[in-house]
Amino acid sequence: MSWQTFILHLFTYGILLYSIILLACYLLIGTFSIMETRSYLHKNSFTDYRVLASSTEAPSMSILAPAYNEGPTIIENVRSLLSLHYHNLEVIIINDGSKDDSLARLIEAYSLYKADFFVNQRLKTKPIRGVYRSSNPVYRKLIVVDKENGGKADALNVGVNIARSDYFVCIDVDCVLEQDALLKLAKPFLESTTQRVIAAGGVVRIANSCEIEGGRLVKVNLPKQLLPRIQTLEYIRAFLLSRMAWTKLNGLLLISGAFGAFDREIVINCGGYNPKTVGEDMELVVRMRRYMEELGEPYKVAFIPDPLCWTEAPSTYRILGRQRNRWTRGTIETLRSHKKMFFNPSYGILGMLSYPYWFFFEFLAPIIEFFGVIGLIYYCFEYAVNWQAVSIMIGVVCLGILYSIFAILMEVLTYHQYKQKKDILNLVLAAILEPFVFHPFVVWSAVVGNFDLMRKNNSWGEMTRQGFTANKKA
Amino acid sequence: MKILVAEDDQLMMKMLEFRLRKDGHDVIITHDGREAVAKLDEFQPDLVITDIMMPYLSGLEVVSAVKKKYPAGTPVIILSGMGQENVVLEAFQLGADDYMTKPFSPNELSVRVRRFDVSAVK
Amino acid sequence: MKGRSLIHLLSISWQIQNIAVAAVVILMICLLTFMLAYMLSQSLQEKKKQKWRMISDMLINKAIFFEERDEIEDQILASVLEAAKKLTGNKQFRKFITGELISAKKNISGTSSDSLKQFYLQLGLEQYALKNLESRQWYVKAQAIQELTIMDTDEFIDQLQAFTDDKNEYVRMEAQAAMVQFKGFEGLDFLDVITYPLSNWQQIKLLQLLSARPPSNIGIDKWFNSENPTVVIFALKLARNYHRFELHDAIASCLDHEDPDVRLEAIRCLNEIYTDETSDHLIGHFLREGLRNQVAMAKVMQTVGTKRDELFLFDLLTYDSDELKLHAARALVNASEDGWTSLERLSNRSEDAIARILMHIKAEKAA
Repeated sequence: MSWQTFILHLFTYGILLYSIILLACYLLIGTFSIMETRSYLHKNSFTDYRVLASSTEAPSMSILAPAYNEGPTIIENVRSLLSLHYHNLEVIIINDGSKDDSLARLIEAYSLYKADFFVNQRLKTKPIRGVYRSSNPVYRKLIVVDKENGGKADALNVGVNIARSDYFVCIDVDCVLEQDALLKLAKPFLESTTQRVIAAGGVVRIANSCEIEGGRLVKVNLPKQLLPRIQTLEYIRAFLLSRMAWTKLNGLLLISGAFGAFDREIVINCGGYNPKTVGEDMELVVRMRRYMEELGEPYKVAFIPDPLCWTEAPSTYRILGRQRNRWTRGTIETLRSHKKMFFNPSYGILGMLSYPYWFFFEFLAPIIEFFGVIGLIYYCFEYAVNWQAVSIMIGVVCLGILYSIFAILMEVLTYHQYKQKKDILNLVLAAILEPFVFHPFVVWSAVVGNFDLMRKNNSWGEMTRQGFTANKKA
Repeated sequence: MKILVAEDDQLMMKMLEFRLRKDGHDVIITHDGREAVAKLDEFQPDLVITDIMMPYLSGLEVVSAVKKKYPAGTPVIILSGMGQENVVLEAFQLGADDYMTKPFSPNELSVRVRRFDVSAVK
Repeated sequence: MKGRSLIHLLSISWQIQNIAVAAVVILMICLLTFMLAYMLSQSLQEKKKQKWRMISDMLINKAIFFEERDEIEDQILASVLEAAKKLTGNKQFRKFITGELISAKKNISGTSSDSLKQFYLQLGLEQYALKNLESRQWYVKAQAIQELTIMDTDEFIDQLQAFTDDKNEYVRMEAQAAMVQFKGFEGLDFLDVITYPLSNWQQIKLLQLLSARPPSNIGIDKWFNSENPTVVIFALKLARNYHRFELHDAIASCLDHEDPDVRLEAIRCLNEIYTDETSDHLIGHFLREGLRNQVAMAKVMQTVGTKRDELFLFDLLTYDSDELKLHAARALVNASEDGWTSLERLSNRSEDAIARILMHIKAEKAA
């Protein structure tokens, strides 16, 4: 057997093995997700969240919303945060050294004054320029912090220092939350008796083309542009299937930085957000889990599948590419700084399952895919078309589409946000298009992310947002 | 009497509307605090009934808006699921004229509303 | 030799692959068909609900505005009830009408609420709920208990009592809530026996249900000795919420409990229920606690601290934790008139933290 045939076989079997493992993962994730979702929906069907809204015994919560140059929308976004249903709440807006007039607008709109405020510096941060409170008693819940620019993680750390609550919820200030979002997010912390719930993640949905009015979602629409539409599908798959399944296993590693709740005491004990990584949201959860594992205390990271938080997704390839590049670097940085846990049985599920899964399927998969496809194309041109490999590839693509359709089915069966039959048809079309127009680009961005990290290019990948006012109903 | 009701819950709204109409009042429906405040000028209500937890503007903000606009007149009744002492106190400090908690008795509401009906007293 | 077997293997896998791809495509079509069928049935259901809504609206309206005896009105009501009763054989309708009655009942009290219960019973819906109590599915059971509770059908109280220590968390939670809903404080006697922990959520719910009742002087202190730490915590919350001053010493003795969460609750409880000796209890236990509970103690000292405790409070100012310092400083200011001046004197000499803390307190007082 010549070395070419050997390589050919190695290659073909490699792809085969990969697709079989992928199939197994899909099956497991699907099954676990169905189990977890069913049990959540059953529980939810007789839960009255108003009990929490009207109780003095409810734990205190703080919303931490870092803002950087959000001037045009900040007033209405803050207003919608203030109208969230939760009694024992403080809303902390952290102005991360914005270069625009965000602070001035806030001072004007909410009659703020600079207060003498002793900040308990338990987490090290960039200096604070001032803490502002409102002289109008209706805005008693509001605290605005002005600080020197230090990035999102640093801004959140300032918020953690200032918060006086048991739990804090970090959100992107331009996210649109449902009114009962906090009530739902608070519940897992109160429910558990045997494990300490250290964090609870929520679903993020895509708000492009939705009708937004005054910082509040009025009508859900499927995005009109293809790119956000495919991301809608991608988010449904990630949140409704993957994260639900990981929650079932208690192996969830990532809580979206756009919307998640954390136990403040534990966050402080393990050092807060890490300002040195671009993936501070994932890094924090991994560090908190690691901290609890090392402490040997039973704990849990919870997840709420209800669509509670809506955000704008990138609608151009350029911005999407930057976002995915950043996510890749964040993942690698997180995995690298916690490599001790890789297949380390003393970290339980975390070390034996979650970490390896992220290593192989989130970090390695794009690289394998990239070189696999390049290799195949090269082989086909240089020697002959390898029909077997090609057919396996087609199989993998079909499998991916099947998985997406399953995700759409789950969405229809559970939350059914897109009511029109046309919308569902469009989602299915998006599922069929995704492997050809979207996926290759995401893989490419991930590969570039790898290179960038190697070159130590730590740019922020700042996301230019269109602002919700652009989508307002005319 | 012209009553403006601000309530975001559909069923509650239907019940309030039905009962108040049966009692012979003119009822103006609004589904959130902002709409309620916006409609004040247009309808010049004799009484405002508002929930607290509502989108855009909370009931407490509605109270302070009404009181700012009509320092002397237009009473406000709060009808809310929140019964915490500090909320009730805050509501009265802002100028609310009455406070009822859910679950509420429609008969009781009817009587309390009548108390504010100036034409009936005369 | 090796090469040939590999090629053989490959040709088999080639066939398997084709079958696999075909299977995936067929599955895809199946899923899509199922989805379509589901959506169609949903929209049909929606249309039916529109009709049903007329019935439920009529019943609810009748409940919230009960007109003087009028034969025609009575007849209309009777015929609507009859028509509705005929529909209760349909599971979907049952679910719908029960749901509507429940949401109305949650918002309404007084005679209107009683009428809703009457309608519920007249439609015979409680029979279905009772049947569901025997279901093997926990959520069916729990939902049935909740339904009977909200509908105030206290005639079935004995059937529900048995579930208060059920092995399923949700079943027992609903049953416990049922007991409190029906019997008020007396209903809490399940606390004597429960072996499973009471979640915080459940405690909030029970306190909420109790708040609708006039306060009662039932014996709380027996639960301070419960083997179940969450029962002790709940009892402490009861004592705090209902200002049971006579229990001060029993509460203070909970500071010796082995569970730190119980001790934390006891500390918080002492913030409401205190005597001249409370601060001595706190100071006596201070060094044995972890930081979390120490901070809670320092917070309580703001309420219970007196001039006698000055030495202790000044000592707290030398601790590492800024949070402890802040609470201690507040306590000092509250404890005596010259607290403020002595703190200012200290802030001149010691590090900058105390000065900033003083500014903060000043701002608080001004607000």
